[in-house]
Amino acid sequence: EIHIKEPIEKEVNPHLLPGELLLCEASTVYKYIQEDGSNRGTYGKLVCTNFKIAFLDDDSASDDNEPQFKNKIVGENDITLQCVDQIYGVYDEKKKLLTGQLRKYPEKLIIYCKDLRVFHFCLRYTKEEEVKRIVSGIVHHSQTPKLLKRLFLFSYASAAPNNTDGRNQTVMFDTLEDWRDELERTKGNVKYKAVTTNEGYRVSEKLPLYFVVPICVSEESILKYEGRGIPIWCWSCHNGAALLKMSAFPKEQDDSTSQMQKAFLDGIYKTISKPPYELLKTDDLSSSLPSLQDIQTAYTRFKQLFLIDNSTDFWVTDVKWFSLLESTNWLEIIRRVLKKAIEVAEYLERQHTNVLLIEETATDLCCVISSLVQVMMDSYSRTKSGFQSLIQKEWAPVFLLLLNCVWQLVQQYPPAFEFTETYLTVLSDSLYVPIFSTFFFNSQHQKDTNTSGESLKTQSGPFRFLTVWDWSVQFDPKAQAFLNNPLYAEKPKPDKSQRKTARFKHQRQLSLPLTQTKPSMKRGFFREETDHLIKNILGKRIGKFINSSDEPPNSFREFYDSWHSKPVDYHGLLLPRIDGPEIKVWAQRYLRWIPEAQLHGGGTIATAAKILDLMEEVQSLQVKMDEEHSQAVSGGVHSVPLLRNSARLSSLFPFALLQRQSIKPALPTSTWKDLEDEDDLVKRDDEFVDLSGDMS
Amino acid sequence: VENVRLLDRLSSRKAALGTLYLTATHVIFVENGSETRKETWVLHSQISSIEKQATTASGCPLLIRCKNFQVIQLVIPQERDCHDIYISLIRLARPVKYEELYCFSFNPKLDKEEREQGWKLVDLKEEYNRMGIPNNYWQISDVNRDYGVCDSYPTEVYVPKSATAHIIVGSSKFRSRRRFPALSYYCKDNNASICRSSQPLSGFSARCLEDEQMLQAIRKANPGSDFLYVVDTRPKLNAMANRAAGKGYENEDNYSNIKFQFIGIENIHVMRNSLQKMLEVCELKSPSMSDFLWGLENSGWLKHIKAIMDAGIFIAKAVAEEGVSVLVHCSDGWDRTAQVCSVASLLLDPYYRTMKGFMVLIEKDWVSFGHKFNHRYGNLDGDPKEISPVIDQFIECVWQLMEQFPCAFEFNERFLIHIQHHIYSCQFGNFLCNSQKERRELKIQERTYSLWAHLWKNCADYLNPLYRSNHSQMQGTLCPQMAPCNFLYKFWSGMYNRFEKGLHPRQSVTDYLMAVKEETQQLEEELEVLGERLANLQKSQLSYNKVKSKQQDQSKQLGLSTSNNSLANTPQEYSNDLKSFPSRSPSQGDEEDSALILTQDNLKSSDPDLSANSDQESGVEDLSCRSPSGGGCLPSEDSGKDSDEAVFLIV
Repeated sequence: EIHIKEPIEKEVNPHLLPGELLLCEASTVYKYIQEDGSNRGTYGKLVCTNFKIAFLDDDSASDDNEPQFKNKIVGENDITLQCVDQIYGVYDEKKKLLTGQLRKYPEKLIIYCKDLRVFHFCLRYTKEEEVKRIVSGIVHHSQTPKLLKRLFLFSYASAAPNNTDGRNQTVMFDTLEDWRDELERTKGNVKYKAVTTNEGYRVSEKLPLYFVVPICVSEESILKYEGRGIPIWCWSCHNGAALLKMSAFPKEQDDSTSQMQKAFLDGIYKTISKPPYELLKTDDLSSSLPSLQDIQTAYTRFKQLFLIDNSTDFWVTDVKWFSLLESTNWLEIIRRVLKKAIEVAEYLERQHTNVLLIEETATDLCCVISSLVQVMMDSYSRTKSGFQSLIQKEWAPVFLLLLNCVWQLVQQYPPAFEFTETYLTVLSDSLYVPIFSTFFFNSQHQKDTNTSGESLKTQSGPFRFLTVWDWSVQFDPKAQAFLNNPLYAEKPKPDKSQRKTARFKHQRQLSLPLTQTKPSMKRGFFREETDHLIKNILGKRIGKFINSSDEPPNSFREFYDSWHSKPVDYHGLLLPRIDGPEIKVWAQRYLRWIPEAQLHGGGTIATAAKILDLMEEVQSLQVKMDEEHSQAVSGGVHSVPLLRNSARLSSLFPFALLQRQSIKPALPTSTWKDLEDEDDLVKRDDEFVDLSGDMS
Repeated sequence: VENVRLLDRLSSRKAALGTLYLTATHVIFVENGSETRKETWVLHSQISSIEKQATTASGCPLLIRCKNFQVIQLVIPQERDCHDIYISLIRLARPVKYEELYCFSFNPKLDKEEREQGWKLVDLKEEYNRMGIPNNYWQISDVNRDYGVCDSYPTEVYVPKSATAHIIVGSSKFRSRRRFPALSYYCKDNNASICRSSQPLSGFSARCLEDEQMLQAIRKANPGSDFLYVVDTRPKLNAMANRAAGKGYENEDNYSNIKFQFIGIENIHVMRNSLQKMLEVCELKSPSMSDFLWGLENSGWLKHIKAIMDAGIFIAKAVAEEGVSVLVHCSDGWDRTAQVCSVASLLLDPYYRTMKGFMVLIEKDWVSFGHKFNHRYGNLDGDPKEISPVIDQFIECVWQLMEQFPCAFEFNERFLIHIQHHIYSCQFGNFLCNSQKERRELKIQERTYSLWAHLWKNCADYLNPLYRSNHSQMQGTLCPQMAPCNFLYKFWSGMYNRFEKGLHPRQSVTDYLMAVKEETQQLEEELEVLGERLANLQKSQLSYNKVKSKQQDQSKQLGLSTSNNSLANTPQEYSNDLKSFPSRSPSQGDEEDSALILTQDNLKSSDPDLSANSDQESGVEDLSCRSPSGGGCLPSEDSGKDSDEAVFLIV
C-alpha cells in the first residue's frame, strides 16, 4: 500500500507567464516517482493553464539545489499542452486512453509526453469535483486547438513585453536580401536569382514570399502552375553545381493536361540543362525514400521503446533490446536518409552535376535531404547561427528525422560542429514550447495572415513573436554553455583558397518580425494531414531521360570509400559512416528519463563536464597570463603587492587539479558512511543529465 | 613471392601490388612503388586461421584471419606459390615448442638489469601489502611451496590465519584440480574479502570436513558478517550436470552459514561460438541496420559480457554494501572465476583503474592463479576446443565500464587494445604457458622481457585525459546499476572493427583532450617562468636602480611577445596539429619492435612530436630565454638563439 505522508497544507501558486491563465486545479494529487514502482512520490497541486499542465510540489520550497541546467520556461514538473502525447486513465488497474467526453473519472492519470517523459498522477485523495474538473480540463486543453489563434503563442505575444533580441545572428530568410546574401555567399548569383513573383502570395500560398530560381526561368512559367514544376534553388556547391528542389505535378486524370504539363517540364529541363548550367540529375524522393507514413510508423514504434511505465516493462523490453530496435526500422530509415544525402553530395561534389530533388510538395523529404547535404558540405551550416539559418531556410516538417540524422553526424565528428548533442536535444524539446513562433505555422503565408490579420501585409503585425533561436529565453548563460561544443575546431584563419571560409556577415538590422516560418506541422513532428503521396511518374521518366550519369552504379561506394580513406577535414565535406554499427540511438534524447539507464557519475555527460572544466581552466589561465603580462609591463612599480598577489594566485591555481593527477590515487580509506556521501556527490555531479530533474 | 596483391576489404578494386616475405617470425607484405614504403607485418602467433580459396583468373586467393581480428586477403599469382605459403604458414602459425615463440628471439636491446627491473614492476607481494595483508585475519601460506598442493596455483597463497596446512590440504583434495579457496581481494575497510577456488568434488552427497572448515575460516576472517556468499558463476544446469561426474557445488546444508548463488555465465565453448558469430557480422561488407542488429543479438556476445559484468557487480555490492565475504568458483576456477573476480576488484578498488593497478590486477587474477593462456589463446599448437576468448571478454568488460564511466580510468582504450594484442603476440613472456610452475621451469623471466615494463615506458600514450584521480567516483566503488540494462552495452568497434578497410581513423575526443592538456600544462609552466622572472625583476630593481629603464624596456618586449602568442591558446587552435594524430594500432609507441602489425595508416603518419609543436606555438622559448639569470641580464636580441637555454630552464 501507499505510504501516505501527511500532506502539508500550503498555498503554492503556479508561476505564470505573461498571458498565461489558470484554467483549473486540483489539490492533494499524488505524483509517483516512477523509479521502481514502489509507489513513492509526493503530494501537490495539479494545475492546468492555457500553456501547460503543472504539478506543484507541496514542499517544493525545501528544494535548494538549483540544477545546473534548468529551463526557465518549462520546469521539471511542467508539461506544455503541445508536449502531451497521450493521456491514459487508470480504472481498476486497467489503462484506458482518454479522449473527448468522459463519463467516468479515473483514479490515476498517466501522461506520456513527446519529449519522452512519463508522469503518473494518483487522484484517489483528491476531491471528486476537482478530479472531474482537472481531468476533463487536461484532456480538453491538450487537444490541438482548432483555431490557430487559440494557441498560447498569441496570448503570450500580445501580453509579453516586446523583447526583441537584436543580437541574434540567425538569418530568417524572410526578405529578398537574405536570399541574395545567401546567393552571394555560395557564389550562386551568376546563374540563379531571387524572385519577388510571390509577393502578395500571387503564385502560391505554400511558397515563401521570396525564393530563388535559375535566371532563365521566367515569371510567367512560375505563375503558370502555381510554382509547380519550377526548380527552386537550395544551395550552390563551391564548384558551381547546385542543389534544387521541385514540387511535382499531381497525377492527372486528364490526358491533355498531363501532356501539357509534360511539355512544360520538358521545356524547363531543357533550359536548365543547357550551359551555363551543369548537367542535371533528378531524384524523385517519394519513390527513392520511405514514405512519410513509413517514417511516422517507425518513429511511433521507436518512441514506444522509451515511453516506459515501470521497471517491469523496462526489463521485459531490455532482454530483446537489439531485435526490438531493429523491428522499429527507425535506425534503418536514418541510414537510408543519410545514404541518400551522400549520394546527392557525390553528384554535386564529384560529378559537378546539378541535383533536382522532386517531391509532391517539395516541403518534406526534400527539405530533410537538402538540409543534410548542406550540413555535410557547407561548414557554415555546422556553426550555431549557420545551422539555425539553415532551418529557417529549409525547414522541414519531418524535423525530428533531420535532427536524428544530424545527431549521427555530430556524434561521428564532434569537432566539426559548433553545437553539442545537448543543443539538438533542447532544440527538439523547443518544438513543443508555444511561445516561439518558429515551429507553429504551416507556411509563411499562414504566419503572415495570422500575425497581422491582413493577408497582404508582410512587414510587421501587432504580434511580436519570440524565436527559439534566442536561447536566453529558455536558459541562463551557465546552462547555455552546455549547448556550445568546446572542442569545436573553428577555422583557424580565413583561408582565401577555400570558398566556405567566409563567415556570413549580417549587416541588416533584425528589427523586422523576428521569425520567419516555413511550412511547418501543426502538431507533433510529422504533419498530421500527411498528404497522400502520389508517385511522380512524369518526374521519374524525365529523370531517366535526362540522366547524364553513365557511371557505374558503385560510383557512390567509391566516393564514400575514398573519402573515408583520407583524413577528415572538419571544415570541408563531411560524410557520415552508414554501416550498421555506426548508426546509433540518440541516447541523450531517448534514454534521459529512464532511471534504469542512468549511470551515476558516468555517461557522455561526464566527458562533457570534464571538457568544460578543462576549458574553464584554459580560459582562466589565459586571464591570469594576461594579468601578469600587464603587470610585467608596468615594470615592477608595485613590487610588493604583486609578489603577494602572485603567491596567492598560485595556491588557487586551477591547474592544481591536473598536477595532482600524476600522484597515485589514494587508497580507499573511507568508511561506508563516507561512501554514501560520496555517492551523493556523484549524483549531484550528474544532475544536469536530467533536463527536467524529475528523476533525481 | 612477388606480384602479390593485398586486397582492400572495402573495395575489391583497390588492391595493392607488392612482395610477400615470410620470415621466422612474421609475414611481411611490402607494397611496390609508392614513395613511402608501405608494409604490413603480421606475427605468426597472431594468425588464427588460413584459408585457401578457389583459384581465379587473377590468381590464388589466400585469406588470413588474425587473433586480433585483422583479416588479410592476398592474391598470389601462382597456385604453386600459394600452396607453399599456405603450407609454411600453417606450420609457422602453429609452433609446437615454446622456444619457437617470438619472445625468445625478441630483443629490445635492454641490458640484464633493465630486464630484471622490468619484471619487478609488478610485485604481487607488494599488492597484498597494499590491501593490508598479512594482518590479524590473513596470512601468506607456504603450503604450495614447490607446487606440492596445486600445480596451477602460485607458490605464495594468501589464506585465513585460522586455516591450518591440514585444512588447506584437506580442502584441496575436495576441490577440482586441487584448487582450494585462496584470497583474491581484501577490503580493509570492512574486512570483507573475495576468495576463489574450483568446484567442490561433492557429487550428489560427498562431504569434506576440511573444506567446510576452510569456508568457515574465510567467513570468520570477516568478523563483521555472519555469513558467506558462495557464488557459482555457472548456469545451474551446468553445475548440476557436473554432479554426475563427482563434481558439482556446495550443499548449503553441509556448510554453516553460507548463502549459495548461481550466476549463469556460459562455458568457453559457448563463448567461442558467440565470438565467431559476432565476427561474422563484423566481416559483412556493408551491413544494414538489420544485419547488424540481428547479427549482434543473435551472436549473444553482449549478453555474455553483461552476464560477466552482472556477476562482478553482484560480488562488488556484496563486499562494499553488505560487507559480506564471497567465495567465487566455476568449474576449474580459472576462466569465469578469473573474469568475475577481476571485474569485481575493478569495481571495488580505484587502484585497479590506474595503469599500474590494472597490470597488477591481470598479474594477480589471471597470471598468478593459473589462467591457461597457452590453451585459451592457442600460442602453441593444441586442442582447438581449448581456445576461447576468456580474457578478451574481461578486457571488453573493462572497455564497457570505461564507456559508462569515462572519467574513472587512468588509462585509455589503446592500453586495452595493446594488452589484448600482446596476449596473443607472444612477444613478451608474461602470458606464456598455463601456470606459474611452467613459466618458472622455462625460466621465462631470464629469457624474455616483461610487457608491463614496455607499456610503462610508453605510458604517456595510454593516459586517459578525462581521468579524475580526485573525482568522487574514484574514491570508492564504481556503481553501475544493479544490473545494467542491455542498451548500455555497445559494440566495440575499436576492437573488432579496428582494421576496417583502409578507413582513416577518426580523431577521438580523447586525442583532442590530450593536446588541450599538453597546452594547458605549457601555459602553466609559462606562467611559472613569468612569475619567477617578475620576482627576479623586482629583486634586481631594488638593488640596481640604475638599470631600471633598461628593465622596463625588457618587460615591454616581454609583454609583446607573449600577447602575440597567447592567441594560440584557444582549443580551436589544436585542430591543425591534431590532424596528424593517428589513432594507433598496437604497434605504435613500440619504437623498437617490428613485431607488430603495421597498417598502412600507421606508416604514413608517425606520431607528431606534440610538445615540439606546441612549444613553437605558445612561445615558451621566447619568454624564458630572456631571464636565465634574473633581471641583471640584458635580453639578447634574437631570442631564437637562446632557445636551448630556454628549454633547459623549463625542463
